[in-house]
Amino acid sequence: MSGVKGSRTLMTPHLALIAAAVAVAAVPLLTPDRYVLKVLVYVGVNVIVIAGLALLFGHAGQISMGHAAFVGIGAYTSAYLVKTLGAPWLVGAIAATMLAAAGGLVLALPALRLRGHYLAMATLGFNEIMYVVFREARAVTGGNDGLGGIPYPEVAGLRIDTPVGVYLLVWGVALLTLLLVTNILRSRPGRAMRALHATENGALACGIDTVGLKIRTFALSAALAGLAGALYAHGVGFISPTTFGLDQSVIYVAIVVVGGAGSLAGPVLAAVALTLLPYADALVPGLTKETIAVMQDWEADIYGLAMIAVVIFAPAGIGGLLRRASARRAGEVRG
Amino acid sequence: MDAAEFFQYVIAGLKSGSIYALVALGFTVVYGATGIINFAQGEFFMLGGVLAVWFHSLGLPLPVAGIAAVAATALLGVVFERVALRRQRSANPLVLVIITIGASMVIKSLARHLFGPDELSLQEFTPGPSIDVAGAAVERQALWVWGLTIVAVLVLAWLYRRTKLGRAMRACSISHDAARLMGIDTARVVMVSFGIAAALGALGGFAVTPLTQTSWDAGAAIGVKGFAAAILGGLGNPVATVIGGLVLGLLESLSVAFLSSTYKDAISLLVLLVVLFVRPQGLFGKARRGKV
Amino acid sequence: MSVRGAGVTMGGMRALTRAGAALLVAVCLPVVGCAGSGAGGDDGAEPYRIGAVLSLTGSYAGLGIPEKKAIDLEVARINEAGGINGREIEVIYEDDATDAAKAQAAAVRLIDEEGVLAIIGASGTGQTMAMRSDAERAGVPIISMAGGSVITDDFSEWVFQTPWPNRIVVPFVLKQMAAAGHTRVALISDTGGYGVDGRDYVLAHAEEAGVTLVADQTYNAGDTDMSSQMTKIRAADPDAVLIWAAGKEAAIIARNARQLNMEQPLYGGSGIARQEFIDGAAEAAEGVRLGTGRILVPEAFGEGTEAYNVATDFIARYEAEYGAKPDIFAGHAYDAIGLIADALGRIDGDVTSEALRDALEQTNGWIGIDGTFTYSANDHNGLTEDEMVLYIIDGGTWRLDD
Repeated sequence: MSGVKGSRTLMTPHLALIAAAVAVAAVPLLTPDRYVLKVLVYVGVNVIVIAGLALLFGHAGQISMGHAAFVGIGAYTSAYLVKTLGAPWLVGAIAATMLAAAGGLVLALPALRLRGHYLAMATLGFNEIMYVVFREARAVTGGNDGLGGIPYPEVAGLRIDTPVGVYLLVWGVALLTLLLVTNILRSRPGRAMRALHATENGALACGIDTVGLKIRTFALSAALAGLAGALYAHGVGFISPTTFGLDQSVIYVAIVVVGGAGSLAGPVLAAVALTLLPYADALVPGLTKETIAVMQDWEADIYGLAMIAVVIFAPAGIGGLLRRASARRAGEVRG
Repeated sequence: MDAAEFFQYVIAGLKSGSIYALVALGFTVVYGATGIINFAQGEFFMLGGVLAVWFHSLGLPLPVAGIAAVAATALLGVVFERVALRRQRSANPLVLVIITIGASMVIKSLARHLFGPDELSLQEFTPGPSIDVAGAAVERQALWVWGLTIVAVLVLAWLYRRTKLGRAMRACSISHDAARLMGIDTARVVMVSFGIAAALGALGGFAVTPLTQTSWDAGAAIGVKGFAAAILGGLGNPVATVIGGLVLGLLESLSVAFLSSTYKDAISLLVLLVVLFVRPQGLFGKARRGKV
Repeated sequence: MSVRGAGVTMGGMRALTRAGAALLVAVCLPVVGCAGSGAGGDDGAEPYRIGAVLSLTGSYAGLGIPEKKAIDLEVARINEAGGINGREIEVIYEDDATDAAKAQAAAVRLIDEEGVLAIIGASGTGQTMAMRSDAERAGVPIISMAGGSVITDDFSEWVFQTPWPNRIVVPFVLKQMAAAGHTRVALISDTGGYGVDGRDYVLAHAEEAGVTLVADQTYNAGDTDMSSQMTKIRAADPDAVLIWAAGKEAAIIARNARQLNMEQPLYGGSGIARQEFIDGAAEAAEGVRLGTGRILVPEAFGEGTEAYNVATDFIARYEAEYGAKPDIFAGHAYDAIGLIADALGRIDGDVTSEALRDALEQTNGWIGIDGTFTYSANDHNGLTEDEMVLYIIDGGTWRLDD
């Protein structure tokens, strides 16, 4: 971990983001295909969620098996406020983000007393409870059959009701999210988080408020998930509980693990690639629907094996976790 | 509500509670030996039922099919430990948890590929009408469930108290390092623990399939409930775990009786979260000063 | 020596740049691969492309699979006879796995990616409702094979329905129960669209039909044990129990009732008119009564009538092809594809989704399996209570109840 001199290093991740922004803007100019744009909306939503989860996971060393629940909280909040109560879309989106953040706070505060795997179970339990709530609170959520006819986003009187418009909105937010997370990682709190990760006692000794840091990171990652949920609800127009279930949370974890939890770029790329995979037949000529159907059929196996393999053989980001953790382990006594 | 109806709910609660107890014992045994939560425990439960159906369809008589299913699952547990977990012994618990999550995904999906997406049934071990006990109807299969649970618990108790292996397991659960210093082969203890946990889960799956049918995705829900039961009783303490399972089953059943059936699933989850946040050591466990 | 950037290695920066470039490529890939699939032009030889969203897996797989078989059978017959106006029909299937979100995604895919003229589907009420917004936005007609009344009660210009909706079946069954002397009735229904819709109609029509509801229990699709609900029902001491369900859980309910030593007769609607129910409930299915259309025992149509001929012809061909008799769901699907084919044949000029919808609305007296259909600009269901009869399960199969 050598120090790096010079301003050049500051430019590079932002350069990558600018390049990405150009690419994102170019896509609708190169293809008018509505379906491709709709698929890319799903990708953008997932990128926002994964950015938050990678921040939590890789840099604060916390695991969340329930992030899909925060996406759901955001989605239903915004859908209910805008569709049922007639609130303006911006209000819905902000409320969605705030409520998800609040949920993150409520979970993080007591959960921080728990050790690694207990926390995982707590977030898992939270996801399952929210699933039951989504299913049973029919007056608000429409129950098992979901909530449809969610209005398009509307900003300052301008209705964003074309596939291109929704695509640009979602990816605009996604790029801003990546910028935000990148800046956090490079800022003092970000470095503090990584230090905390390395040796907690060391970080404490340096006067870093580890507990506060963890809580804020958890809340932020939940907020991002909620924002993604709001965008999804209005972009797609229909939401139902199964979209926000445990299976989805596990897939998010798998994406971050496979992408390499120590960085942002890895998980984001993994998110893009894995979200596009089920639609690859619409995107790559020569791939038939049947081939994709077969791949979809084996998706869970592939995810599971990939997770195990990455963790065992190619830790990459997890490697950093391991290296630092083994230093910690030497002093740990199992009570 | 009259006595017969109340008793019916108690019966239902004890019935599901025994299943939770078996699955929860699996969590406890693994936790005691390794200190980690095995996220694949629910899948062992699923395999017990699914494999029993398959063996039975191959022509094996029902009891043999059941024993074969339990044995096969136990073997899978052992193999899993050796192949995927053993080399990671010194690793961050986070890593081990991720491995068990990955294993759970793979096992579940393979089950769907091998055995199909539909419900699978087994006939009751001793078909016949339900037995009337004080106005409540008790299915014959429920008697089997209780019987097998009691046998499993007794065998486990005997193992822990009377055998060298059992004492080694208890030593490990107190302190891994101390046990190793005493010359105990901790690696073997871990391996056997996984086998036992898998066998217990599979036994539960096999016993309950005639009542509820089974399918490739039957593991997830029971895994969460089994863990809630283990936490409720006190992870690491087998007797407490069994009590936790029965209590959870009763809580669920009585909540249906007095509240509403729609929130039945939420009860176990609420219990899980409340216990984790208020009293992580469970009803019977000792308070520990855990590091963050 | 700059402190900024400490903690992030040179290698890391390079990685980020590479990552950025790769992200660029990844986002550009869809552009390269976009084959620009739009709706097929009105070329003379091009087949009519019809989409179908069915539950081929999940709780309603027992509905979707016979539906697909019926559609395949009919499409093959139509195409072999020369198609419609010289053009064949091509059906593109999507499996919604009994999930509303997947049904909606399937509809988007069929409309935007495959450019279909119309969509047959879904097998379930909730899934059908999930597809509505996208179909309405795109102006593509949907012919649903699900029985929830809300599908046509909550009227949409683009949504049609072939089965007898709960609006028809519920009052019919309730009246039968009252006529048999069962005036204290317990209801158990699922929380999906069909169950909720059925329950609403039971609550609305119970008094009118002459029954009182003494218990009202629900369960979620996917539940494996309904004995708690049945215990509550038993405690209410009803004369009979009405099951309003369409999924495989209905068989478990019947078994639970038997296990609790309940003696009351069980009734149901179209949702339990399935061989799967009889197979899953085993002895518990004996004596269960249900109200549904005449297809199960075609003699009920009246021998020699055209409806009877249509039904027996379909049954014979289906049985020859698949080795088993068609059930009511195969019937719904036969009607759906048949109505579309009939409407397509009547279109003058360009065949567009809108023209197809208009032609469907002009359907008058078309004889199908579910009954004789007459659609209009404000009736997109086309059937009445006359199509209903009461069956009883006896010896592992259905017969008309006397």
